[in-house]
Amino acid sequence: MPPLFLPRRDLLRLVPAAGLAACAPPFADAVSLHAADIKKRGKACILLWMAGGPSQFETFSPLDAGHTNAGGTKAIPTAVPGVLFAEHWPQVATVADHLAVIRSMTSKEGSHPRASYLLHTGYLPNPSARHPTLGSIVSSQLAEGANGGTADLPPVVRIGSRGRGDSGAGLLGLQWDPFELRNATKPPDNTVPTVPSDRHLRRLGLMERLGSGFAKSLPQEAADHANLYRRATKMILSPSMTAFDVEAEPEAVRAEYGEGSFASGCLLARRLIEHGVTFVEVASNGWDTHQDNFEKVKELAGEVDQPFAALIRDLHARGMLDDTLVIWMGEFGRTPKINPRGGRDHFPRSFNAVLAGGGVTGGAVIGKTDDAGSEVTDRPVTVPDLFATFCKSMGIDPTIENMAPSGRPIKLVDGGNAVTELFG
Amino acid sequence: MVLKSSVACLLCAVVLTTAAPLLALAASPAPPPRCDDATFLRRATLDLIGRQPTGNELDEFVASRSASKRTDLVNRLLADPAWATNWSRYFRDVILYRRSDDRAIFMAKPLEAFLTSHLSKPVARWDHIADDMITALGTPAEHGETAIIMAQMGETSDIAAEVSRVFNGIQIQCAQCHDHFTDRWKRNQFHELAAFFPRVKIDRMPGAGPDRFEVVSRDFSRRGRGKKPDNPRRGDLEHTMPDIDDPSKPGTVMQPKFFLTGHTMPLGTPDLERRETVARHITSKENPWFARAIVNRIWTELVGDGFYDGIDDLGPDREPRGADDLDALCTKFVAADHDLKVLFRAVMATPAYQSQVQSRADGSRAIGEASCPQRLRADQLFSQVMLALGIDEEGFAARAAQQRPANKTKPFATPRNVFNHVFGYDPGLPRDEITGSIPQVLMLMNGKHLARGLDGKRRTFLGQLLREEPDDRAVADELHVRTLARHATSAEIAVCIDHVRTTSDRAEAFEDIFWALINSAEFVHRK
Repeated sequence: MPPLFLPRRDLLRLVPAAGLAACAPPFADAVSLHAADIKKRGKACILLWMAGGPSQFETFSPLDAGHTNAGGTKAIPTAVPGVLFAEHWPQVATVADHLAVIRSMTSKEGSHPRASYLLHTGYLPNPSARHPTLGSIVSSQLAEGANGGTADLPPVVRIGSRGRGDSGAGLLGLQWDPFELRNATKPPDNTVPTVPSDRHLRRLGLMERLGSGFAKSLPQEAADHANLYRRATKMILSPSMTAFDVEAEPEAVRAEYGEGSFASGCLLARRLIEHGVTFVEVASNGWDTHQDNFEKVKELAGEVDQPFAALIRDLHARGMLDDTLVIWMGEFGRTPKINPRGGRDHFPRSFNAVLAGGGVTGGAVIGKTDDAGSEVTDRPVTVPDLFATFCKSMGIDPTIENMAPSGRPIKLVDGGNAVTELFG
Repeated sequence: MVLKSSVACLLCAVVLTTAAPLLALAASPAPPPRCDDATFLRRATLDLIGRQPTGNELDEFVASRSASKRTDLVNRLLADPAWATNWSRYFRDVILYRRSDDRAIFMAKPLEAFLTSHLSKPVARWDHIADDMITALGTPAEHGETAIIMAQMGETSDIAAEVSRVFNGIQIQCAQCHDHFTDRWKRNQFHELAAFFPRVKIDRMPGAGPDRFEVVSRDFSRRGRGKKPDNPRRGDLEHTMPDIDDPSKPGTVMQPKFFLTGHTMPLGTPDLERRETVARHITSKENPWFARAIVNRIWTELVGDGFYDGIDDLGPDREPRGADDLDALCTKFVAADHDLKVLFRAVMATPAYQSQVQSRADGSRAIGEASCPQRLRADQLFSQVMLALGIDEEGFAARAAQQRPANKTKPFATPRNVFNHVFGYDPGLPRDEITGSIPQVLMLMNGKHLARGLDGKRRTFLGQLLREEPDDRAVADELHVRTLARHATSAEIAVCIDHVRTTSDRAEAFEDIFWALINSAEFVHRK
């Protein structure tokens, strides 16, 4: 098949081309920054988002198989003695020593869009302010010079999301908005120039020359505009764009992650983090199992188990896990009682989330519920607590305030206390 | 700010005696310099009908010697059906960018239709729009006026907050959980406002899509026991203010009371009577905030800076800049029965609107006294691209739908909506915070539809122009007119000719020039 991205020699040839004078430094730098970007990579975060609300019981909080609420789902041992996962997660079980499972998540929001917004931003939706999504919070605090600085790729990338109320950068501003990618196996929209790169650069030079009149009367507006074009061009001509090409990964590594769009998304997430992206969200859709919960979760777990485990192993092997927080969660859990259609309904009162890396102690289990799985009986963790925990992992001060358009200061996290037991 | 008239607003005077001294007129010795005619034409045409002027419109306007040509232009554009379309889209964004539920995006079309029906009347009455939206009932597809209720999915407090923000310009919802920090509003005042809306409900039928919703009045308890409409203890018939110290307690049942006029209603009042009453009080000529909110909004959109810093965050505890100009506009607007066209006409006649553009970044600029550049809204930019490339939007949409029959599942994925998804912004955001984004730039740089439209060798506008016009200078000028609605300067012509000379292929050279103009800062801004 034809290459998805520009071959490298093309880039090298075109850089000294005409039409560059006015915007020379950034465009020319594009080719040499690759290694520097990798070196500078600091803390990062990958969110594995289980859209629809995954059943806690068929994932990482299995009930005793004898309980009627278990619905026949068996538990299996993991790499951590005494910690059991549901049977559909044999691969993740082998990396349990890197994972911390919170089995006592609790919230009150049982509507998909509102809960999805809550678990993405830490806030309930409110017409007076658009709260920034976790990726925007994290990248606005951590990304190295994302605004016109050194990074080639966008600071936040969201893969495979169907965008149901997941929110964007909100009041932080568009530069922190997630860069959306519907499909991990195709290059992102509009990133392949429609003309050869040397002609693209000539066009930019022409644009700059024809824009000099505008720049005279509105210098700031013109400078902002030029800056955006510089960043966008730097991005699409950057060698880092090959990060988006998962097919460039060795066959053996791809086999580790397995087949399917979620697997490609996880592999892409690792590649992007490696190339300086601060936050990547990978969505798995379809967890809203009101009917045939058991068959459906088995199928979904079949798509998520292997890539999730491979991602942890891969990050660990590359020495990236300590600086990369991996989060597995959805917007709520599901009812302990099985409904007449063999499904489980929305249940925010008690659900689970999994954390790995980013300084989180592996093998930990936080909180528990009663035997029926219906009440948190130990160590409840609220959504703000969870967000405070994310901040602690990444060294972000959760009390930093941003201004809403109404002039009202909004903290990164709305109160909440980090689950300090997770950090050794 | 500079307005010709400085008639004091009698209605507002009561509140304004406590406000700041009226600085603006005294502080500005001379009106700002007027912009040239071509700039005015592009500004007014984009602002009013959401597209750039054509070459014919440009030449005719510049050539005209009529002393009233700017006024005549504004009048003509206000009568154009595209004015109603353009501003329906704007108010659609005002309401739907604050939706708490993403699914409410299906309200876009019916909301536009509702707004267009009002705006295309000879007198475009803002009070009628407000009244219909506050008292809305029915299915979303047929009743676009349900948009605020649908956007907040029937949540009592959020409906109250949005009604106050959009129509009073007062963000009383900050007082939802505590007394307002910076303004005078108390927590109970917010909940008294919310008490006008507890009986608005959304019925949900099984199935998917907008058809399964209906906004209804629920004046009888659903729980069946003793259907007494006047039983104040029925939680879902009356609004309760939660107990902040102990949310598990039942809270306080709130009696409807409108915080701006003090009007109250008894508990047990039926839904429609409550909403009709609060609508009457909001739109009343006795409520100065109703006029101020929309005057400040339209002024901010047209001139660039508002009388207040926030476009929808006013109130008696904020001091307006140029209060007497604000009053004069309010008086005129109220006297004209809240006719938006009268308001547009008044704002666009001011020296501030007709001035040369001043950069927001200019530290010495006189805020509110001269026009600031605005990034085009997504809808304006889309129309501008279509017109520049000579693409017929309807035909384009039909072809796109044919090519992707999968769009049946996504009926909203028209080319315009796809574009809006990338370029749209919340009009409630401060203008200096509205920046471009990388995906926007990528779409203009590399979008495949755009590339096809630029092709100088196909049957495109450019292809035809190149075949018919052998003079390169004329082609270069025509491309400037087409995109920027002005003629090229001699320096620009020289840059273009130089580019044509150094490019082997004439069509390719002009594709580059056309591309550079569509991607220029000038193209995405309205000066």
